[in-house]
Amino acid sequence: MKRDEIQTEIVKILEESFEFENPGLDDNLRDVHGFDSIDAIELLGEIEKMLGFAISREEKQQAMEIRTINDILDYIEALIVERNK
Amino acid sequence: MARRVVITACSAITPIGYAKDDIIAGLEQGKSGVKPLRDDGLLSEYIHSRVFGTVDYPVNYDFKRLYRKTMGPVAFYACRVSKDILATAGLSPEFISSGRLGVAFSSTHGSPTVQRDIYKTFYSKSKAEFSSIGAVDYLKSMVHTTAVNITRMFGITGRVIASSTACTTSSQSVGFGYEAVKYGMQDAMICGGADEYDTTTVAVFDNLLACSTAYNDRPECTPRPFDADRDGLVVGEGAGAVLLEEYEAAKKRGAPILAEVIGFSCNNNGGDLILPNLEGITSTLKFALADAGLHPAEVDLISAHATATKMGDVIEAQAIAGVYGDSPLITALKSYMGHTMGSCGAIELILNLYMMEKGFVAPILNLDNVDKRCAMIRHVRELTETDIKIAAIQNFAFGGVNTCLIIRNGSEVD
Repeated sequence: MKRDEIQTEIVKILEESFEFENPGLDDNLRDVHGFDSIDAIELLGEIEKMLGFAISREEKQQAMEIRTINDILDYIEALIVERNK
Repeated sequence: MARRVVITACSAITPIGYAKDDIIAGLEQGKSGVKPLRDDGLLSEYIHSRVFGTVDYPVNYDFKRLYRKTMGPVAFYACRVSKDILATAGLSPEFISSGRLGVAFSSTHGSPTVQRDIYKTFYSKSKAEFSSIGAVDYLKSMVHTTAVNITRMFGITGRVIASSTACTTSSQSVGFGYEAVKYGMQDAMICGGADEYDTTTVAVFDNLLACSTAYNDRPECTPRPFDADRDGLVVGEGAGAVLLEEYEAAKKRGAPILAEVIGFSCNNNGGDLILPNLEGITSTLKFALADAGLHPAEVDLISAHATATKMGDVIEAQAIAGVYGDSPLITALKSYMGHTMGSCGAIELILNLYMMEKGFVAPILNLDNVDKRCAMIRHVRELTETDIKIAAIQNFAFGGVNTCLIIRNGSEVD
């Protein structure tokens, strides 16, 4: 998947499932949208479904550093690169 | 020093209605909320009892996802009735988050709907499905899910009591909340209970031969408390919440006083976990009277637990007769909606508040031929207009837990 395709999917998930309103790519997810640790785990489940492969425990722990949608996109691109090695 | 405790707001979701006027109309018209058991695709085809006290109307939930995401159906019920009473009460945001408002609320199981989905995943033997268990499933299904979802939604920071004792769950909630305010640990408490539509509970009572099966083709004819032809309980669903406040504070802010809680008792039979126990129940009724400082003749109305099981109704009638004789009126509100399990104590309390305000006692439905063994008490068999000054609400649970709450009509409180 290309970054713009990932972005479309992620924004759609955040708007439809997480009820984000007008998400900005550099919004602080917690401060602007009330995104918490429960949401992070739920989103990782959605990302697994989107990518079609399981994310390891270590990789999930890395996701806890995510603060913005751009961070999410970087994270997913890194996962794809790792799987394609 | 003991303080006085009053009820200043209430709300209930019941099989006979949600809005106060609907519930009162249901009681006045003898409406039954018992409906055919729904197919759950799992247990229902094996269950002999085909009836359920059903909430079959839509309930509006205007909750943001921020709050919804940790709720199973039972927490939706709990937060709906809690939101209602907070809206009615108009407590200040500062007080709500002051630590002086607490929550005493629970349910029989947490959310069995969510638990069932978790078990389905466990037994699917699919790694992909296993990893897909939601992070919030535990938060939705844990026993104290109702209480903590209420605290989260409204920012309540006081104590949490989530006593889960089957049929005495919410009567304990109210009783323990009453004691928390009475003895100064909290200034106000949101108290109640909820239980969602659940066939697991029906299956359990069905296996114990405690469920009604003879009226599957006429759901409205069961349960039949104190009737000679009763054949067991009907499981139901619903929720009820009351706001308890310290009397002086409630009066100072001009809150409506629906009733004063003047007595509470809770004990255990100390033996069999299933069979009703005359000695244990009798003690509970006496303890509540003692806590209220009342003579038995001062109680106008008893809201009996009366599940319509063969043994339970006889033991309860014997206990009432032994403590009160035949002076108080006796009603049995499960005849309208079945046994709403963890919510029954709170719902029956709220229905008593409504009857007190309107000046009537709802008759026991389906009481066509009084069982001779239950005939020594004063069953209400037709709609009775009367002023109720004092009412006692009795509830007994599997596990041998017994409770009794005694309330004084708000119009009598000064």
